[in-house]
Amino acid sequence: MSAMIKQPTNSGTGDRAIANEVQEAVGEKKPMTIYRVITNEYFLYCVSTVTFLLVWQVIGQSDMFKGALASPVQVVLRFDRMLTDTLAGLTLWGHIWASTSRVLIGFALASAFAIPIGLFMALNPYVDAIIKPVFDIFKPMPPIAWVSIAILWFGIGEPSKIFIIVIGTFVPCLLNAYTGIRLIEPELYDVVKVLGGNRRDEIIQVSFPASFPAIFAGLQISLSNAWTCVLAAELVASRSGLGFIIVQGMKMSDTSLVIGGMVIIAIVAWTTSLLVIILEKLVCPWKRKLEGF
Amino acid sequence: MTDYLGRRNKIEVKNLTRRFGDLLVLDHINFTVAEGEFLAIVGPTGCGKTTFLNCLSKLIPTSEGDIYVDGEVANPKKHNLAFVFQEPTCLPWRTVRDNVAYGMEVKHFPKDRIEKKLNDILNMVGLADTANLFPNQVSASMMQRIAVSRAFAVDPDLLMMDEPYGQLDIKLRYYLEDELIKLWQTLKSTVLFVTHNIEEAVYVAERILVLSNKPTHIKAEVLVDLPRPRSLIDPKFVEIRKQVTELIRWW
Repeated sequence: MSAMIKQPTNSGTGDRAIANEVQEAVGEKKPMTIYRVITNEYFLYCVSTVTFLLVWQVIGQSDMFKGALASPVQVVLRFDRMLTDTLAGLTLWGHIWASTSRVLIGFALASAFAIPIGLFMALNPYVDAIIKPVFDIFKPMPPIAWVSIAILWFGIGEPSKIFIIVIGTFVPCLLNAYTGIRLIEPELYDVVKVLGGNRRDEIIQVSFPASFPAIFAGLQISLSNAWTCVLAAELVASRSGLGFIIVQGMKMSDTSLVIGGMVIIAIVAWTTSLLVIILEKLVCPWKRKLEGF
Repeated sequence: MTDYLGRRNKIEVKNLTRRFGDLLVLDHINFTVAEGEFLAIVGPTGCGKTTFLNCLSKLIPTSEGDIYVDGEVANPKKHNLAFVFQEPTCLPWRTVRDNVAYGMEVKHFPKDRIEKKLNDILNMVGLADTANLFPNQVSASMMQRIAVSRAFAVDPDLLMMDEPYGQLDIKLRYYLEDELIKLWQTLKSTVLFVTHNIEEAVYVAERILVLSNKPTHIKAEVLVDLPRPRSLIDPKFVEIRKQVTELIRWW
């Protein structure tokens, strides 16, 4: 019976042993045609981006918004000046760093506390029963609602801004760590139990690694919340940061400064989320193929 | 105590009973497994096979009776029990190699012994080429082979398998059954193989226990003294298969 089945061969094919059915993406070579070029995903990305910028430029140059919409060229020129000129004593880089450092400090503080608490809650029913009711009171509260009380408590300095970021990032960090553990397939624990592993083996070998992907998803949400929070805090009271640039632009009716500030926030926030993705790839190498990275 | 081939009794199940409230699922089950024996257990669907295995593997407590390894009550922390689940249960964050090594790590085998065993088993089951891939990069059948290898790697006192190949197509199943027999013959493990596939049971086992419907007890014992490799069309094979089928049909 076994004669009719091909045995796996060790013919030096590395990861491609056919008998072992390794799942691999196979790219097919097709000739280049105009149809293929214009239906190419990346080509269409370029088309949509360039069209958007062109339309923006045309509208910005026209008198449609009575000068309230700066064109992309004006924004770029304005920010080219910002690289050397200072606003409230800081260049553009200074303001970027002011916001980024607040985000990073708040984000790091929140995740350092929220993730362990979330893990503890999921792993221990008593901890869960004690923390959950209080957590559920704070959970639906939008972090921006804390801005006023933060300023009353901590003044308009750095601590109030970091406090708001911590509040805004805490909830998704904790929730994801919690659900990450709760959603683990019970069979994985059975594997450890049958082999004679103890609770410690279960937690270290199964709970922690299994919850990493959910924790990283939580960190991504937290990071985007952190940027929302830092902006809110800077819009209300600040002498530095990207939110401050936007407020200054508004006060001086300088739309290129406002729009530029918005664009820079998008770029910086995207860069920080990229760092989280890179960190995830380092910590969870097994997810690589699954996500198509 | 020895079996018909003169082998020592390794595993003894005495009065194994399990109730869920008023529902009696397992009704005083008694049997023994000899050292190095390949025992198959077949029974109709819903006869409590999973409960039976969960009791044997100590995942759930028994209501009465117990399982004994070398005369002592089985204890996963002390004895080497291994289990291959119906669903592939690889740890997604470990490579194929580390998944196979996992059982030995939990049991604190020395490093050099783990290395040697790993190389032997990976070569035996043809996973050496894919040792450094993660489970999500290999097929479902390979994941099950990883679980089987992991179970054999700990030199188990008793290796329990819960319909491990139930979800595979027939060609792969034949291939993996041959591989299983090869592993069992080479490593001389004691195997308890639960399946609802009668042909599979007759193909792999030395002895078959037929379970009744709920409340489950052992209805019959069938010896399969056929030479290996076995042929599915050998008249003796067909006869035993028919005999077991009849036993299951007459509840």
